[in-house]
Amino acid sequence: MAKKIKDFVKKYPGFTVFFLLALCVIGVAVFAPLIATHDPYEAVLADAVQAPSAEHWFGTDKMGRDLFSRVIYGARTSLSASLTLVCIIMVVGTFLGIVAGYFGGVVDAVIMRISDMMISFPGMVLAIAVAGILGANIKNAIIALAIVSWTKYARLARSLVIKIRHRDYIAAARVTGSRTSYILYKYMLPNVLPTILITGFTDIGSMMLEIAGLSFLGFGAQSPTAEWGLMLNEGRAYMTAAPWLMVFPGLAIFITVVVFNLLGDSLRDVLDPRHE
Amino acid sequence: MKTKKMKRCAALALAVILALSMTACGSSGDSSGTDGTADAATTAEAGASADATTTASGGTFTFGCDYFSEYIDPSVNVNSAWSLVRFGVGETLFAFDEDAVAQENLCDEATTDDYITWTLHIRDGITFSNGKDLTASAVVACWEMVYEKEAAGSSSAPSQYLPDPTFTADDEAGTITVVCSDVTTNLKGILAYPYFAVIDVDSYEEGVVDSVIGTGPYVLESYVEATSKTFVKNATYWNGEVPYDGYTAIYMTDSTTKALAIQSGDVDVVENVTTASDLETLKADSAYTVESTAGGRLANTYFNFEGMLANEALRQAIQYAIDDETMCNITVGGIYTAGCSVLPSSMDFGYDQLTDPYEYDLDKAVEVLDEAGIVDTDGDGIREIDGENINLVYLTFESRQLQTFAEAVATVLNSIGIGVDYQVKDYDTILGLQIAGDFDMVSSNAIIVPTGNPDAFLGNFYSGNSQDYGYYSNEEYDAAYEKLIVSTDENEKMELYVEMQQILIDDAATIVHGYYNSSITYKNSVITGVKMYPLDYTWITTDWAPVG
Amino acid sequence: MKKRELTKRLLQIIIVLFGISFLTFALTYLAPGDPVRAMYAASGTIPSEEIMEQTREALGLNEPFLTQYVNWLTDCLHGDFGTSYAFSKPVSQLLLARLWPTLKLALVSLALMLVVSVPLGILSATHQGGVADYLVRGLSFLGVSLPNFWVGLMLMYIFAVQLGVLPVVSAGQGWKQLVLPAVTLAFAMASKYTRQVRTAFLEELNQDYVVGARCRGIRESVILWRHVLPNSILPLITMLGLSFGSLLGGTAVVEVIFSYPGLGSLAVSAITSMDYSLIQGYVLWIALIYMVVNLLVDISYGFLDPRTREKR
Repeated sequence: MAKKIKDFVKKYPGFTVFFLLALCVIGVAVFAPLIATHDPYEAVLADAVQAPSAEHWFGTDKMGRDLFSRVIYGARTSLSASLTLVCIIMVVGTFLGIVAGYFGGVVDAVIMRISDMMISFPGMVLAIAVAGILGANIKNAIIALAIVSWTKYARLARSLVIKIRHRDYIAAARVTGSRTSYILYKYMLPNVLPTILITGFTDIGSMMLEIAGLSFLGFGAQSPTAEWGLMLNEGRAYMTAAPWLMVFPGLAIFITVVVFNLLGDSLRDVLDPRHE
Repeated sequence: MKTKKMKRCAALALAVILALSMTACGSSGDSSGTDGTADAATTAEAGASADATTTASGGTFTFGCDYFSEYIDPSVNVNSAWSLVRFGVGETLFAFDEDAVAQENLCDEATTDDYITWTLHIRDGITFSNGKDLTASAVVACWEMVYEKEAAGSSSAPSQYLPDPTFTADDEAGTITVVCSDVTTNLKGILAYPYFAVIDVDSYEEGVVDSVIGTGPYVLESYVEATSKTFVKNATYWNGEVPYDGYTAIYMTDSTTKALAIQSGDVDVVENVTTASDLETLKADSAYTVESTAGGRLANTYFNFEGMLANEALRQAIQYAIDDETMCNITVGGIYTAGCSVLPSSMDFGYDQLTDPYEYDLDKAVEVLDEAGIVDTDGDGIREIDGENINLVYLTFESRQLQTFAEAVATVLNSIGIGVDYQVKDYDTILGLQIAGDFDMVSSNAIIVPTGNPDAFLGNFYSGNSQDYGYYSNEEYDAAYEKLIVSTDENEKMELYVEMQQILIDDAATIVHGYYNSSITYKNSVITGVKMYPLDYTWITTDWAPVG
Repeated sequence: MKKRELTKRLLQIIIVLFGISFLTFALTYLAPGDPVRAMYAASGTIPSEEIMEQTREALGLNEPFLTQYVNWLTDCLHGDFGTSYAFSKPVSQLLLARLWPTLKLALVSLALMLVVSVPLGILSATHQGGVADYLVRGLSFLGVSLPNFWVGLMLMYIFAVQLGVLPVVSAGQGWKQLVLPAVTLAFAMASKYTRQVRTAFLEELNQDYVVGARCRGIRESVILWRHVLPNSILPLITMLGLSFGSLLGGTAVVEVIFSYPGLGSLAVSAITSMDYSLIQGYVLWIALIYMVVNLLVDISYGFLDPRTREKR
């Protein structure tokens, strides 16, 4: 076992490093209460907008909350939101894509026309409208982005399914009386999974940016939630006097997105040997 | 082969031309717009070193201000009426001077024997900016239009200050006879309020922003929705030469943008920079002057008494939980002065005779809630009243740090288990929701002595008027208010002021955040004569002139 | 592009627009809040429930959902997108006034993006594995990982606040007002596009004919400009059309940051004031613009690609 890991690490040093880094980021989110030095929601109004110090490593925001703790807790909000989003679109998109590809006909036509509709449309615009109309909160921001983002996965899964739909072993399975759900689960899903996973991982970063963007516009997380996009928006008013209010949440987004983007890229090397 | 290549080249060339024309179009727009200002700024700077106080004329300036309303119109709502006067388009018959005393303006003589029937003479030789004479009947037509729209449901409410008047115009004599429904000693002050600003009714079309024609020094020329308004000078202005050819007002909602914009030279004047750090920077820089007046504005939060806040213990707990001093001095950086009563401590309404039973004490707040049985029984962190989670809808808007107050209040209340659903909207929307009663708490920032005395403001809590302000009702208060509005005795009025303020405090009727210090900041090298009036519906006047 | 294909594409556009219109209408229909009340609120009037009911009746808001949708769609097809509550002006008039500024911003950023990313992408592809390649890839990686609003704020802080060379508020018409919003938009886009240019070029550089040409001793520059560039232009143009979508979406954030008077900032203010007809109009218009742009891309494809052309 140990040797296997060692070989893997040797073969994919990039992936290993980024995987560990991603684990660190997730660790920060999971162990936020242990890492944070203060309660991120505890407002000490008298200590507002203080510069970084030994007591408050990243300074304090306008409500006198500890910025370091808020940035740490922000990892929870941002990560859980973007992971949820990616999971939703991956599951929904893959499912619809497999169904469309396997059954073809009317089902395919309907699913693909809807997906056409979504793909031929600037996602952020619709997301802003959806989030704005449904009401501003992080749940609706996720719904809005999910509505416009699932199509990519549906298309991918569909094209992969179509490729193998008429292979002999599928026909054999059908003839021997395997249930359709069994075929979908046993043959179709494993076939599409690697590609879907790679896409999913590379999407985490960009989804995080889009959620932060919506929050920044005021259509995502609402005060007093510790969320990076929202924190940036709040910090904007203090651009000249307290630049740290903008710098730290910005860096947090940047680092996390970089880590997940690199992880996605290197995962491609691991799962998709053709690529090299 | 050749033709293929040609076609390809042609396509590429087309693309290049398109790109170039784009940039060309972009730069051709330069001659207009803000570049004009940039020129004015550089010439003015050259002159400034010689003598900063001499004035010149011509040119334009840019003014960065909050977006309160799309309209400049006396009949839409408070903000549209204020905008009409603030932007120098509409004028009132009387105008407040720097000591908040109403002086003759469009009217040059006002007489009365019984304080019920007043005769107002309209100054001769005044025309609207479209050249039409300002006759007595034109004034009456405008006022009647505003009253009619109020009756039809508009939130412009002139009858709040002057209920059921009759207006009669005599164009021969150039006079208007106003018959008030009751003794009205303060008619001059009331008519100085923007609801009574005069526009030409004949050219006015409801809902058409630029159909408004006034008598003021500037005329609305063009506008971009929610972005900017461009004004040109009224060539026929009655009260002296207008020093500028025009100006552009650019809406900017956040205070930091205002501060950045004046520092980067985008605008020459900004009103109410409210972020403490930015204001400090501007004050410290000798290139700018910050004109401000002591707090005549109240920032408060109205409670809706037809919702959960009818519960007295809940209101009291909220009062105990809020630390006004810290919020005013630190959270909003000292641009407000803290206080406990709706009437500002800086004015002479007996503030020092009041007692505040709800001094800040967070533990006490929790105690009050627990004692009243407002506790969290289902363990979700939110207390309940009658089995229902407390979730107060708190409406606020981004003006003079109201949003920050609301956020701070929400944060504190959340920490003691009172759920607050804090919503930021634009002011017009808030006003609509407030009047419709769709809120639990709503931020407000208002001038307390809009007509020279606080009587009308105190009327917001009178049960006959309070439907627009959360349905507060108290019989004692009502009785005192009824006495107040007919009283002509200064001593009696003072006693009533004290009594009424104390009732509001004791009832925990509203959250008083503090009293705002209004300000206007301008660039010394560019503009001079800018003044901040205590009643800040005067902004742009003919005193504002280029430095030259 | 063949006539039949064109008709097919047009038909597709119509179907998609139809779907989008249904979606936006359904969303606003389901949205919390009463549009009639919002309408009166915007003009500062709250009339009696009776009057509001009359207005609802007059506006057809008591009709069944589908009837309302069909009525609304018919009006839209006649160019009537309704009236904005907040500005009491026809929606189409409001949108039209904001259309050019947004298009101008989008096109300038597009031009900027091309100017930066094409040379960098080529440089990176031709020096694969070299220092230049790593630098370019690193930079483009940075670009896709930074939130564009943060980049906008930072640019504002540096160029408008610290250096004072560019305006903070882009409300005017001059070209200076365009610089910061356009650069902000172009930044992330260029990063993405540089990567795509690099990939497209690498793919082409590894083709057999390039290897063959090299063997025959043809100069590298000739190979690059005569053969590789023309051949990789096609996929790049397709991607350009697709990027236009994220560009239009991105304008909203950037317009808000720089107070730029375009469609995006109008839409954001429409959302805060619950101005539903304006939101519906905005979504439909953007969809239309985006699809027209992509249709044009497809048509130009026909002109640029020797293979599709020869088929005619």
